[in-house]
Amino acid sequence: MAKRFVSIWFRHLATDWFSLRQPLLKTLPFVLRAPSHGRMMITAANAIAEKKDIHRGMVLADARAIHPSLEVQDDKPEILDKLLRRLAEWCIRFTPVVAIDPFDGLLLDASGCAHLWGGDVSYLSDIEKKLTLRGYDVRIAMADTVGVAWAVARFGKHPLIIKEGMHIEALMALPPEALRLEPEVIERLHKLGLHHVRQFINMPRTSMRRRFGQYFIQQLNKAIGQEMELLEPVQPIEPYHERLPCMEPIVSATGIEIALQNLLETLCLRLQQEQKGLRTSVFKGYRVDGKIEQIEIVTSRPSHNVKHLFKLFELKISTIEPALGIELFVLEALKVEDHLPQQSTMWEGSSGLEDVRLAELVDRLASKVGMHAIHRYVPDEHYWPERSFKSAVSLHEKLTTHWRVDKERPLQLLPTPERIDVTAPIPDYPPMLFRYKSKIHTIVRADGPERIEQEWWLQQGQHRDYYRVEDEEGNRYWLFRLGHYHDKIYLWFIHGFFA
Amino acid sequence: MRYTELHVTTNFSFLRGGSHPEELVEQAARYGYDAIAITDRNTLAGIVRAHVVAKKYGIRIIPACRLDLLDGASLLAYPTDKDAYSRISNLLTVGNLRAEKGKCNLYKADVYQYAKGSKFIIIPPATLNEVFDFDDAFNKVVREYRDALGDHVYIAASRSYGGNDAKELYRIAQLVKQFNTPMVATNDVHYHHPMRRELQDVVTCVREKCTIHNAGFRLHPNAERYLKVNEEMLRLFRHYPDAILQTQFIADACAFSLDHLKYQYPKEITTNGRTPQEELIFLCWQGAHAIFGDNIPEKIKENIHYELTFIEQASYAEYFLTVYDIVRYAREKKILCQGRGSAANSTVCYCLGITSVDPSKFDLLFERFISSARNEPPDIDVDFEHERREEVMQYIYKKYGRDRAAIVATVTQQHHKGAIRDVGKAMGLSIDTINRLSGLIWDFKDEGFDKKRMISQGINPDDVTIRKVLELTAQFIGFPRQLGQHTGGFVITQGKLSDLCPILNARMEDRTNIEWNKDDIDALGFMKIDVLALGMLTCIRKAFDLVKKHYDVDLTLANIPQDDPKVYDMVSHADTIGVFQIESRAQQSMLPRLRPKCFYDLVIEVAIVRPGPIQGDMVHPYLRRRNGEEPVDYPSKELEEILGRTLGVPLFQEQAMKIAIVAADFTPTEADELRRSMATFKAKGLVSHFKEKLVSGMIRKGYKEEYALRVFRQLEGFGSYGFPESHAVSFALLVYVSSWIKCYYPDVFVCALLNSLPMGFYQPAQLIIDARKHGVEVRPVDINESDWDNTLEEKCGKYCILRLGFRQVKGLRENDMNMLIKARKNGYTSFHLLRETGLTESVLELLADADAFRSIGHDRRQALWEVSTKDHQLQALIPNQLIHQSIEEKIALPEMTLSEHVVQDYAVTSLSLKAHPVSFVRKQLEQLHVLSAASLEHAKNGEFVKVAGLILVRQRPGTANGICFITIEDETGTANLVFFQKLFDQYRKEIIQSRLLMVEGQLQREGEVIHVIVRRCYNFSKLLQQLTSKEDYLSLKPLSRSDETSSPFLSKN
Repeated sequence: MAKRFVSIWFRHLATDWFSLRQPLLKTLPFVLRAPSHGRMMITAANAIAEKKDIHRGMVLADARAIHPSLEVQDDKPEILDKLLRRLAEWCIRFTPVVAIDPFDGLLLDASGCAHLWGGDVSYLSDIEKKLTLRGYDVRIAMADTVGVAWAVARFGKHPLIIKEGMHIEALMALPPEALRLEPEVIERLHKLGLHHVRQFINMPRTSMRRRFGQYFIQQLNKAIGQEMELLEPVQPIEPYHERLPCMEPIVSATGIEIALQNLLETLCLRLQQEQKGLRTSVFKGYRVDGKIEQIEIVTSRPSHNVKHLFKLFELKISTIEPALGIELFVLEALKVEDHLPQQSTMWEGSSGLEDVRLAELVDRLASKVGMHAIHRYVPDEHYWPERSFKSAVSLHEKLTTHWRVDKERPLQLLPTPERIDVTAPIPDYPPMLFRYKSKIHTIVRADGPERIEQEWWLQQGQHRDYYRVEDEEGNRYWLFRLGHYHDKIYLWFIHGFFA
Repeated sequence: MRYTELHVTTNFSFLRGGSHPEELVEQAARYGYDAIAITDRNTLAGIVRAHVVAKKYGIRIIPACRLDLLDGASLLAYPTDKDAYSRISNLLTVGNLRAEKGKCNLYKADVYQYAKGSKFIIIPPATLNEVFDFDDAFNKVVREYRDALGDHVYIAASRSYGGNDAKELYRIAQLVKQFNTPMVATNDVHYHHPMRRELQDVVTCVREKCTIHNAGFRLHPNAERYLKVNEEMLRLFRHYPDAILQTQFIADACAFSLDHLKYQYPKEITTNGRTPQEELIFLCWQGAHAIFGDNIPEKIKENIHYELTFIEQASYAEYFLTVYDIVRYAREKKILCQGRGSAANSTVCYCLGITSVDPSKFDLLFERFISSARNEPPDIDVDFEHERREEVMQYIYKKYGRDRAAIVATVTQQHHKGAIRDVGKAMGLSIDTINRLSGLIWDFKDEGFDKKRMISQGINPDDVTIRKVLELTAQFIGFPRQLGQHTGGFVITQGKLSDLCPILNARMEDRTNIEWNKDDIDALGFMKIDVLALGMLTCIRKAFDLVKKHYDVDLTLANIPQDDPKVYDMVSHADTIGVFQIESRAQQSMLPRLRPKCFYDLVIEVAIVRPGPIQGDMVHPYLRRRNGEEPVDYPSKELEEILGRTLGVPLFQEQAMKIAIVAADFTPTEADELRRSMATFKAKGLVSHFKEKLVSGMIRKGYKEEYALRVFRQLEGFGSYGFPESHAVSFALLVYVSSWIKCYYPDVFVCALLNSLPMGFYQPAQLIIDARKHGVEVRPVDINESDWDNTLEEKCGKYCILRLGFRQVKGLRENDMNMLIKARKNGYTSFHLLRETGLTESVLELLADADAFRSIGHDRRQALWEVSTKDHQLQALIPNQLIHQSIEEKIALPEMTLSEHVVQDYAVTSLSLKAHPVSFVRKQLEQLHVLSAASLEHAKNGEFVKVAGLILVRQRPGTANGICFITIEDETGTANLVFFQKLFDQYRKEIIQSRLLMVEGQLQREGEVIHVIVRRCYNFSKLLQQLTSKEDYLSLKPLSRSDETSSPFLSKN
């Protein structure tokens, strides 16, 4: 069977992607930019910008000078790879062999596919229609070789479908750029006055090789079909997902539990083999009446521990209503993270936050009282006491700084400082006594002051002078005076208790 | 009991201190301090400024520094006398020279070696350990310091309000008992006022490369590091009164002041046991006889006597001799040089050969050269050929030694853009916002940003963060950021320089400089010589060499025939492309109006097209008076003397300053301060103060307000581009010399100029076109004929033929070409021979691109085909082997058209000798009634014309209200276009994008000067593209992504 290839050229891949997210951009001259050698360069321009003579590779400042109202956004080069891959996977509906053609194209092996669509023309027009509908500006060509399909998509004149056996002829009128060569070779060909493939296609190969290299010959041979060009097809990634169809509809809780147990074992075995653990998982029951019952769990660290996961689900099984019965169970791991096997510790229970049992306990507690009721605090680099700690996002969040030990801080810090009445000598001596909750404390020992200024970039206001004081009963308190003793009015507060 | 602050970090501890030394000293004076120490980290860079301000306020600074050591606790060091100061300075020098620029590597052992005569204070660690004590390591180091430094060592104690102050002081007191090292109170000052804490936090962020939001404990917890009043310090240390007392002891012991540093001229400049004055007299008369022969004119004699007496009184003889020595060396090595500056244009300097400007050419009194008001040494700058200045610098280092000669520093200040970037980043603004803000920076005024402009950029001016950023930026501007190297200012001393000031490594190899800048040096009365580089001198020297070689005439700066009418005639016709200083578009349009006829006219010409006179609106009055259209009168009798030489119009910087003195009662020092305040945008408040003083002063003396304002505006213009008469005189000589060479030897001139590029306004293409216009034949680059430099060949007609050198070809390297030239012998006849030289394929390809193979019968395309093979290296290894290539079948390559060649020539050498690109499209242009540049001369004033050409230069001078000047060129010559602001905005795109620009507009004729005032313009670059495109190649260019809109497939569906 004759080989047929399709080349899809996304003419504005990057800007199309942005326009899909911000439809307004479609109507504006719009470019993407990225810094290069200390200057901002345009890395992509949409069709409207190109009409105004703004092209990729221009210095942004120049383009702005030409068109001051140019819409500019930062390029995200990392998305293009993913985007192309997604598009490639999507294209598998047209042929099983879809390859990525970096950085702005796809290559399809369409051998024996087109007739399913009723011929080359309707095949290509279907591809183009669907991609255009999705918002991509494409140019699509078809030929007997990858090289010519690629060349015609980018440089050819209509028609873009090159009939079987006509590909060499189609190539003749194209410029050397169409052969996918290194820029230096292209430049040299032009300098030699060889502006068309036809001018050099019949030159002696030895002379050509000596001047333009083996790669040139290779590319030429690939284009005319003397050398095979293999496409590397993209494969869709297998998701973590297990199914258990039932012979008889299940109606009992025990039945559901058995199914869950079964699915968990299979899924966890796979996770274990791949050194993964799940963070979020959904267990679905497809009911006979077409409805889907589902329960979801979340763990605080990746896990493939069947027992633990089962326990988490177990609490929720009662919410499943089997009604007339469930005929299919599906277990999906929605969020999966790396879970490398840990070296077992010599003394169990000594590993603190790393202890799996702690994490599992937190999961179980959380499934009962809710995650919001459990807190973990980590230090934050602020002098201002209220900001010197923050809630951790997860059980495993690494400390960005250490708890300070050089400045003593109370064991209990009041959420907001409370006003107290104080007798204190000025200017900056510690108080002699203070009244808190209508009890008078006589101070026998004191240390300070520690002056903490407002963090001016967050908040304006007066500084605090903190004192650590001890009363007659040996209780220690953290007090502060707000404001300077020079000022007429200053206030005293209690802010915490030492042990 | 009085307290003296001994621990002060200024912003010369880069990115640590939050205040200028001046601010700290001022604050100390305000608080009634007798003295204050300046202790920056391993540097003395800030002490001179502090010293100057301290003198003004009648307090004393203690020059000192903080020594951060690599192997021990930091020390504050206070020299008690001059010798101790020298030791500290030497200590820092040792540390600096060990390290790369910006670092200072010091060890305890170094300190012990240089410690004699200084007091030291140990800085304890910032925090105590968990048992509220200092670590043992610190106790050990205190013991060590005590053993090594004896009674001169103290321990610093500070109340930082960290919470443990009492414990820290107690522990220090224990140490004091244990080691008998007294406790000294300090406040570890980082800024002069608590308000500066914010800026200090921000500079900390800049230093730590973090933002204010994640800086955390790298910032100080409170704002206590400010300079506190005496009473507060006494109160804080009420439990340790002795600590306060000790500050007084140390302050009293440190009697050293920077005024004690006495600068001494180097001595090894006399011969035969003469005193410097005798030597100067001897050399001066010797020189005078060499110039004038036995009969020295009376006037010169008088001048010499007069000046020598003056020099003797001021004892400047050593200075003149030092300059003379450098110039003598340069002359010995045949390095062209020319002195300029206030003292350089004296008769003595003329006799010594420091300048070649004949003092009888202008009429200036000697005192003018030396500002007696400022008790400063005279100022002579010497320009040298830019390619050989390094030799002169190394001579100075060698003669005086690196310990006696060094380059002055320049303190790189935080400028607008950098300040807003740093502050913005530290405050956590997005890069985008910072960019937009810094884009607005040119609108930054004393009052801050214009709100409307900010809103137009999408920035909310009332946003709290933005406001804070702008506020801090304003404070941050002018902060010193690093010590750079002055372009060529040398300090040379008799004793060791490092006794006076620490020396450090410059970034450039083989250069060392001192920590102080020009102003610091001036303030202390040190001598400085500027050894500057000037491209035109290189060019002139090369021209002299060529004249000698090809015409056998010996020329020097001094022996060029003077006052040649032919030269002035040429200059008056603005035929000055390539000439020093007067080649710019603005100068060229001035020349036919001014029509210089004598040397002094050139002096004026150099000075008049400058921001000063232009902003002061002095140009037109001068021209009118010169052309007799307006009577010459003077605003007052007293100004007649000052303005006599310039027809009553102030043109030079000195004149404007003199006016301030005479007409507005400024003291000379004030006038000088005024000028300086204009140059530095930092001293904002000062400018308006001076303006007020000048204008009201002049009005009081009966001058018109309008005139006073003009004088002020002119001073403003001088600020950044000051151009005093003495410099103009020296430059005018070079103007004359270069004009003379251009006039008589255009071949030599263009060759020398091309070999000295880059310099000046013009590209090689324009210089070559100009030379051809003057009848010089030019030949292209060729493998068999060219050298690296451009050369002159045999005579053809009046002049020698210019052969372009390989340096004109982009991408070629001198080494490769020397290889090629060396192996050339009788010339290359084939590609084989060329390959055997070992030149790489890419070099040969560059030569092919340059079309340099014509002498062996190949054009660039054929040559490229021949040289671009990959296997020649193999052949080079096995020479003389017959390889299949020689029997390779002939390939017929498409023939290149002339226009294609021209385009290629432009691509490779930026010029073509074959034809001008525009000539190929002339027919099409004629159809559109586009005139050639040359035929504009026949057009009438006011007529509407069309003209087209390649864009040569686009200029938008800041002084021209947004007017843009563009020069275009076609095959017949150049045309000058003027775009008014509105047109420029409208045609921005065309102006920026076009290579070939076509304009319509009105012709304006002013004497010989022709402008086209543009009304409309078009981008004709597409016409040029045709030159390269054969057949349908153009249409085959990669499809522009926007060429196609409709799809053949979709339309069917």
